[in-house]
Amino acid sequence: MRKYKNKMLRIFSFFLIFLFTAQAAAHHVLGRPAYSLNEDSNTPPSMQVETQIGSYFITYMVYPAFPRPGERGRVNVYASRIDNGQSYEGEISFTVKNDVLIGDENKEVLGTQNIDGGVYRQGFVFKENGGYIITASFEADGEPYTIDFPLQVGDGSGMTPVLIALAVIVFALISVNVLQRRRIMREKIRSARNNESQPE
Amino acid sequence: MTHPGLPEYWAFVVWGFMFLLSLGLLLKIDFSRFSYLKQKNVNLYQIKFVSPVIIFLTQSRWLLLVLKLVVVALFLLVIYAGLMGTPVPERNIATVLTWNIWWAGLIISIFFLGSAWCAVCPWDTLASWHVKPRLWLKKYSLKLNNSLEMTPPKWMRSVWPALIMFVGLTWLELGYGITTSPYMTAILSLVMVVMAVVSLAMYKNKAFCHYICPVGRTIGFYSQLAPVELRPVDNSICADCKTMECFNGSDQIDACPTQLVMGRLTQNTYCTSCGNCTQSCPDKNVAWQIRPQSREAIESARPHWDEAWFMLILLTLTSFHGITMMEFWEDSLRNFAQIIGDSGQLLVSFSAGLVLSMLIPVGVYALVIEITRRWSNSGAEKKLGFKKIFTSLVFVTLPLAFSYHLAHNLNHMIRESVGASQLFLNPLGNNVTYSGVADELLIKNSMLLSENTIFMLQALLMMFGFWIAIKVLQKRSEQLNISRVLHLLPVLLFILAINSFHIWMLMQPMVMRLGALCVVPATI
Repeated sequence: MRKYKNKMLRIFSFFLIFLFTAQAAAHHVLGRPAYSLNEDSNTPPSMQVETQIGSYFITYMVYPAFPRPGERGRVNVYASRIDNGQSYEGEISFTVKNDVLIGDENKEVLGTQNIDGGVYRQGFVFKENGGYIITASFEADGEPYTIDFPLQVGDGSGMTPVLIALAVIVFALISVNVLQRRRIMREKIRSARNNESQPE
Repeated sequence: MTHPGLPEYWAFVVWGFMFLLSLGLLLKIDFSRFSYLKQKNVNLYQIKFVSPVIIFLTQSRWLLLVLKLVVVALFLLVIYAGLMGTPVPERNIATVLTWNIWWAGLIISIFFLGSAWCAVCPWDTLASWHVKPRLWLKKYSLKLNNSLEMTPPKWMRSVWPALIMFVGLTWLELGYGITTSPYMTAILSLVMVVMAVVSLAMYKNKAFCHYICPVGRTIGFYSQLAPVELRPVDNSICADCKTMECFNGSDQIDACPTQLVMGRLTQNTYCTSCGNCTQSCPDKNVAWQIRPQSREAIESARPHWDEAWFMLILLTLTSFHGITMMEFWEDSLRNFAQIIGDSGQLLVSFSAGLVLSMLIPVGVYALVIEITRRWSNSGAEKKLGFKKIFTSLVFVTLPLAFSYHLAHNLNHMIRESVGASQLFLNPLGNNVTYSGVADELLIKNSMLLSENTIFMLQALLMMFGFWIAIKVLQKRSEQLNISRVLHLLPVLLFILAINSFHIWMLMQPMVMRLGALCVVPATI
């Protein structure tokens, strides 16, 4: 029975084994934030993101996950080579800019950090609410590496997307109404001309 | 955190069932002897005690309006919480309600109620309230009509737009990770409403529901397997009808939003269960009916090229959902990303995986159909074309996709919705606390169904899917005049492979869509 079971499993696993070879324990998805919340310690939650870039695995942790203006926070960055797990040991410089599509990015240097117990730590304090992009940059094997990660300080943009959606809807409806009126007007003119051209 | 997989003994029960059924097919056992398909529909209006309830449910405009108001209120709450609440997905009602409850529960609702969701869909409701307010402002004699009533262009009048949207939605859901972002969930909700409004403002009837909405079309195709349908009570009344209120509408009631003529309706695919036809028919000749489950997919739904592709891609994307929740997925993605030099959120690698997961089953299915065509055409007087077999036999994919989708979603729904009701006390999830161990215990001990019951239901669903697929194969091959049972072997092997793969995936530990729920903070 066991032999049969194994054989069956092998056959049905073939398709997958053909495609995928690696097996590992699950953790959160690459490049997406995971929040660590703990009610036992009275510490605010932290945010952690894992990602990979070039030859390096990068893990960065922001503490607290949701900083308020004026609140001290820090970013921890861990960088290790994908092939052999060796930590990067050079300098990492941190900059910050406004997370805006249009307008002034207002880039500022936060600092340059050396490795300290396998971790690069960069402190920050933001005075104003808003969305920011923190960039960690380093150079390895003659190639530049930059890692951007967004940070929301204080309250978010709130209901702006709703206002944009409403504006699009109102614009669409007004446009349709204008076109409808023109269409009705054209039909009226056309029918009036037809009536005029018909002999009495 | 992962969910435990289906125990091996259940998998072997299903595989045993599949083996026996396959053997029965190859030995030409006529399953129609055991068939329930010959049973007539049960008209719910003609059942003594049920009919008043059904009549009230379908004829009352107020009831539908109340349901719509409730759903719209929840939908607006999702948008508000998504924009203003915590970004922690497990603690925000936007993500939990949208992805754990609605998205998972929607598929389960089709099994019992067909396309009922479409009747209360908030996207369409909000669009209708914006564009065609004449019905709800009738009291004030305001007859606004903000629609240009244009005919949709020819390229749009198929399910291709919905198919593209469906692939896009899957990419956003599993690749971009919209399910783990309350903010992006709210944005997606807004985008869908804007698309529904703009579409309704431009085109006549409900082009968005008919051609574009990926959710509506998914519901539509799965509804071919549902046990309920809206159909004429007496076909002769429809045959003699000259006014066709179901199609044209009346002074009080809108026309069928997807332009269906009740007298000629044979499939649920485009019915949105809006109830306009039941309300507008002057002869009260349209009624909800109970029918043999899946009869439509097995024998009466007509094959079309674009619809065939939708069904096939539906199968591939359903399987893909499962694959991305396997533990090996992320490491496979990482390995692939290293090969191609992808970085960040690995969206290029994910997209490649998505495309590959669609191409492989489609390629295998096309190959299977080509072999079937060659075998069945050899020596036959009337040759069958590839397209004809492709579109006819594609219905086998529908029960396979549906049963796996149900079994998979059952896990999400039962395990991940534990404590979700508590989120209504703090929908924005502000000041939430968390205890990993407590949450795990809460999930395990507070599930609506026991773990063994979930496993049993999953096994039954997989058997149901396979059984229906075999019935489809038998019936559709009869319709194609493929008489030699050996010619069906490639399609049978395809069905076996797909269902076995689905069972194998159910046996694996499944990564949770969202994390654990849900401890209400003492500091609210």
